[in-house]
Amino acid sequence: MSDDMMQRREILRRVALMLGGAVSAPAALAILQGCSAKETPGGETVASWTPKFLTGHEALIVSAIASTIIPSSSGSSGATEAGVGAFIDSALAAVYPKEDQDRFKAGIPVFESAAKAAQAGNGKPFVDQMPGEREEFLKEYLGKALEGERDPKPFILMARELTLLGFYSSKVGITENMEYVAVPTAYHGCVPLSEMKKHVYWE
Amino acid sequence: METNSFDAIVVGSGMSGGWAAKELTEKGLKTLVLERGRMVRHGEYPTATKDPWELPYGNRITEETRHRKPVQSRTGYPTPANQHWFVDDLDNPYVEEQPFDWLRGYHVGGRSLMWARQSYRFGPLDFEANAKEGVGVPWPITYDEIAPWYDKVEVFAGISGSVEGLHQLPDGKYLPPHDLNCVEVDFKKRLDEKLGRKLIIGRCANLTAPLTHNESPQRGTCQSRNMCIRGCPFGGYFSSVSATLPSAERTGNMTLLPNQIVYEVIYDNAKGKATGVRVLDAQTGKQTDYFAKIVFLCASALGSAYIMLNSTSSRFPNGFGNDSGELGHNIMDHNKPGSSNASVEGYLDMAYTGRRPNGFYIPRYRNVGKDKRGYLRGFGYQGRASRAGFNRFNDSSMIGEELKKAVQEPGPWNVSMTGFGEILPYHENYARLDRDKKDKHGLPLLVVNAVVRENERKMEEDMKNDAAEMLEAAGFKDVSVRSDAYHLGNCIHESGTARMGTDPKKSVLNKFNQVHACKNVFVTDGSFMPSFGCQNPSLSYMAFTARAVDHAVEELKKGNV
Repeated sequence: MSDDMMQRREILRRVALMLGGAVSAPAALAILQGCSAKETPGGETVASWTPKFLTGHEALIVSAIASTIIPSSSGSSGATEAGVGAFIDSALAAVYPKEDQDRFKAGIPVFESAAKAAQAGNGKPFVDQMPGEREEFLKEYLGKALEGERDPKPFILMARELTLLGFYSSKVGITENMEYVAVPTAYHGCVPLSEMKKHVYWE
Repeated sequence: METNSFDAIVVGSGMSGGWAAKELTEKGLKTLVLERGRMVRHGEYPTATKDPWELPYGNRITEETRHRKPVQSRTGYPTPANQHWFVDDLDNPYVEEQPFDWLRGYHVGGRSLMWARQSYRFGPLDFEANAKEGVGVPWPITYDEIAPWYDKVEVFAGISGSVEGLHQLPDGKYLPPHDLNCVEVDFKKRLDEKLGRKLIIGRCANLTAPLTHNESPQRGTCQSRNMCIRGCPFGGYFSSVSATLPSAERTGNMTLLPNQIVYEVIYDNAKGKATGVRVLDAQTGKQTDYFAKIVFLCASALGSAYIMLNSTSSRFPNGFGNDSGELGHNIMDHNKPGSSNASVEGYLDMAYTGRRPNGFYIPRYRNVGKDKRGYLRGFGYQGRASRAGFNRFNDSSMIGEELKKAVQEPGPWNVSMTGFGEILPYHENYARLDRDKKDKHGLPLLVVNAVVRENERKMEEDMKNDAAEMLEAAGFKDVSVRSDAYHLGNCIHESGTARMGTDPKKSVLNKFNQVHACKNVFVTDGSFMPSFGCQNPSLSYMAFTARAVDHAVEELKKGNV
């Protein structure tokens, strides 16, 4: 067995652990066949789901952007746990017209080369950068996008919007950060924040 | 043929049809209710208890839905949570000679499942306006005549609200009002102090307390989920499905048939009466005739006009009951030319809990009392104050832990409000049939041609300026007034296509919603309105339907119909 295959087996084991042992056949196949699936320094992998709209490589970059915007931390979930990468992929496929889809796709390689060229990343592709390196570059990249033309929305702001929507409409995103009550029973119009367990009431 | 005969036929099962069914069956009439869409029973609301993370795409509308439902999605209503209640426009075409948003729900309950539940009475000002100003035809009925029927339907449906003593917006029989939130309470005070204008809590068909009667054991109180549009398993808001149809069902007198497209009223020239209706089965295409002593058309303003226009005979060559030439004409809606927004400083230590299925209401004050403007009639506003959510960070470069912490605090307060302006009845605003164009059932297409005109455009200026004036008077910041391209129909209040009046030469219906020229047919959906106020109309449809049934059954007993 080659080293390469050993490595893939190891990745498969780790993904299986992450998913509680349930790795779908196509995902397992994808890993063993050595397609773009791999775990990055940020912990993202696309092996647990099959992209519908993005390529495996694109999905990894988008997942890396999402988890840089909303990282996991001790005791608090981030975009990776919420499956934001898969959310973005399926939302792109289903809710955006072709011109938006095309703009999004076209934005990925532009983002990639900018990340590679940036000082912060020390010449590495975005997905291979350490979390601190990614953060520094992404803040700068977002800042530039906010100063530029925003109609139509550039790739990075679309990715950001989808990250926020995907995370804060996910179960972990909602229940860890907001007071979610499925059946509130009553409405109270003037409640001091000090009396609320969590300050944001999901609505 | 015997099995197809009933005492009464009701066409449509929405707001008006549900009421007609309940009242007719409770008065002992064997009643057939024909609904063109699919069956829905109370509790059969597929998305009602889904948590937000169970809805795909963050509940955003898909391209597929936009493609199948291009008209429905113009309003922004359809989402994965509720899109099953909105018709497929490709399967249900019509012709827009002018842009017209025809929002439809083809299923049992119709749009009473998706309505916004705002429930206001029309007042003396509204019933007297046409006569005083020489617009359209005078209302053949006064406020005092309809008031007891408003009482009746409010008590049965359960309307929450506050008693205000405003003559332009008469009080009703209310369950306790919802709270205004902190910002709205102060907005109310400042509007009153600085401009002498009222802000009240919306009057809505949500049960803020148990009903005061025991006729609807299937209904519970509103749980403040604010997911009404999906259908409420608690029966917390009024719909045909949760309220009137279960009452009709319990009498044992109702036969409810879904998937039945009524396309014609059968008129017997010799008898001078309608004998029934002609129906296509939406699934099999099978044609059936159903017969009854009286017929209630409750198929919506455009739906009922369609059936009548399509019912031609030697007696009615231009459409059933159309001696006046007004059938299909005088289409109205409420003019909604844009919403206004402002940001609010302060109140950062205060929030709200629960999800209020309601907002505030600023009743009409223009052309009321001594106020006189360069246009007729007036407008009201609906709005709410709320705190911004996570999407305020969509256009920001904040990331990481800093962002996660920031989202855990509510954003600044803001206020938004939308004006609803009265549209006058114009003969030139019409619907007609195009018999050369057919739908998949082989039925002719409806053509709609209606626009806002000078009076509405003049009023729009006030609607925008006044909104800005009020938000500024309240001390709010960053006031912005948005102009939206409004089409008739966009407020989903289309009406006026078979107006009532005393003169059969100028109107289609009499004061009891009875076709002037054929007394055993009643039309009680929005078709009957000779003018439209600026109030949401459903409560009026309920009241007029109950009154029309009472009259119909009395006349039936007397042998007059």
